[in-house]
Amino acid sequence: MISTHGDPMPKHIVSGLKYLAAVNLTKQGHTQKEVAKRLGINRSTVSHYLNGRNLSMRSIEIAKVITELCPRDFLLLTYALIQDIDKTKTIVKSCQKRKFKASVKNSCIGCGICIDSCLMKAIKLDELKAKIDSKWCCGCLICVEMCPTNSIEIEEVEY
Amino acid sequence: METTEVIEEGGNITVERAGEETRKLLFNNGLCAACGLCEEICPVEAIETNPTGAMIRTEQETSKITIDEGKCVLCGMCSSICPFQALDLQIDGTSIKEIPGYPQLIKSAEIDENECINCKACETACPQDAITITRELPKRKDLVTGEIEIDKDTCIYCGICEEMCPADAIEITHEEPTSINPVIASDINVDEDKCVHCGICKRVCPVDAIMQVCRICPYGEYEIELEPEITGTSYIDPELCVNCGWCQEICPVDAAKVTKPFEGELILDEEKCQGCETCVMVCPCNVLSFPKPEKVGDKPEKLHKDETFCIYCGACERSCPVDAITVKRKSINYTPTKSKAWQNAFESLTK
Repeated sequence: MISTHGDPMPKHIVSGLKYLAAVNLTKQGHTQKEVAKRLGINRSTVSHYLNGRNLSMRSIEIAKVITELCPRDFLLLTYALIQDIDKTKTIVKSCQKRKFKASVKNSCIGCGICIDSCLMKAIKLDELKAKIDSKWCCGCLICVEMCPTNSIEIEEVEY
Repeated sequence: METTEVIEEGGNITVERAGEETRKLLFNNGLCAACGLCEEICPVEAIETNPTGAMIRTEQETSKITIDEGKCVLCGMCSSICPFQALDLQIDGTSIKEIPGYPQLIKSAEIDENECINCKACETACPQDAITITRELPKRKDLVTGEIEIDKDTCIYCGICEEMCPADAIEITHEEPTSINPVIASDINVDEDKCVHCGICKRVCPVDAIMQVCRICPYGEYEIELEPEITGTSYIDPELCVNCGWCQEICPVDAAKVTKPFEGELILDEEKCQGCETCVMVCPCNVLSFPKPEKVGDKPEKLHKDETFCIYCGACERSCPVDAITVKRKSINYTPTKSKAWQNAFESLTK
């Protein structure tokens, strides 16, 4: 496994992603304190971001490209860069413009594989059946691919 | 998220997947009857039942089933359907048998201790040795009453009474005669805790040295108050019990109640049967038997069945090398589940 610890490039790109997330979260009505906590940065950094300042302005451009990738690439690349599931969730959800509706067919056997495969932690088991919270679905379709009974349907809905 | 498999010596298998929750499928080879229900219900074709005939005859310790960990998704259907408790899916350490929502086979075997007379018929008949009856019998002396006395001056210490006493109640202190002490015995005593006042010693004594009276005899048919009290406890090992119903059928006082998980029909094709007896050895419920042939080496006559004991697991059908057995499972008794997929899976096992 390649370690990215102390690697400046991923860190720069992550700062770009966090920049975008901080701006979007603030637009959605979150306080600076909340934004700082969810992204794991200090409040003065949030304040810098909100004033349009970042150490590497180029990283913001790259981050924008990442957010516009297909959902699976956006999710997996973000997770690979940041290596933290909660922050990945926050960034993907606050920066993704597309929306998805997930449904589970009655053929679901409740094996729980989708729960383990979902990086967005959008799936729970309820009465031996998977239940997907569409609010957190990022449309990566990993669960659809992993499901042994082909029981999951994800549709893109109009934004 | 990776599924791992460990196969132990003796054939036990553990399949594990650790993720949001840890799922562990435990297979107990000793309890498995190789009926194939797990293979039939598995939605991802991860289980294969191995040929049982050869395994049973050679008493091999290899697993009766094979689980493909690359295919197994640890859903637990095999664990829910297994009538022999050989498979158990645990989610975060709790068996799905204890998790509400998972369908469970409705099956039970109970002995009503108030009715049970501790005769041990069920213990003897149980094909899985799952029943233990522990009984406390009364002391023999509490069931009789009488008097016995030996006139030691008359007694010649011949030892006949000692040899004849059915209760081993008479003891003679035998001696090696010497010139100083020329006797063959020095004492004779009756252990009144052992004596049942049968009177044999009195009747065999060649010198009439024994006085014995039974106090019950004069009452004739009117018993005096000496009620035997037989107490006991019963235990059915829930892991070994296969709910076959032998205990219920053999119990002379209807103290055993059994609920079977499946209902159905067992059809034997006498034309096809070659009398190999594989089914007899495989059946966990002793449903099948062959009458003993008259001469050694003779082929047994037709296969005998008693469906009273059948749970329609299908182990015999699967083991028969000439397809002479058909098990038609008509219904499965299980607790309700909201999951359509699980309902369909259970129902798919009925014909």
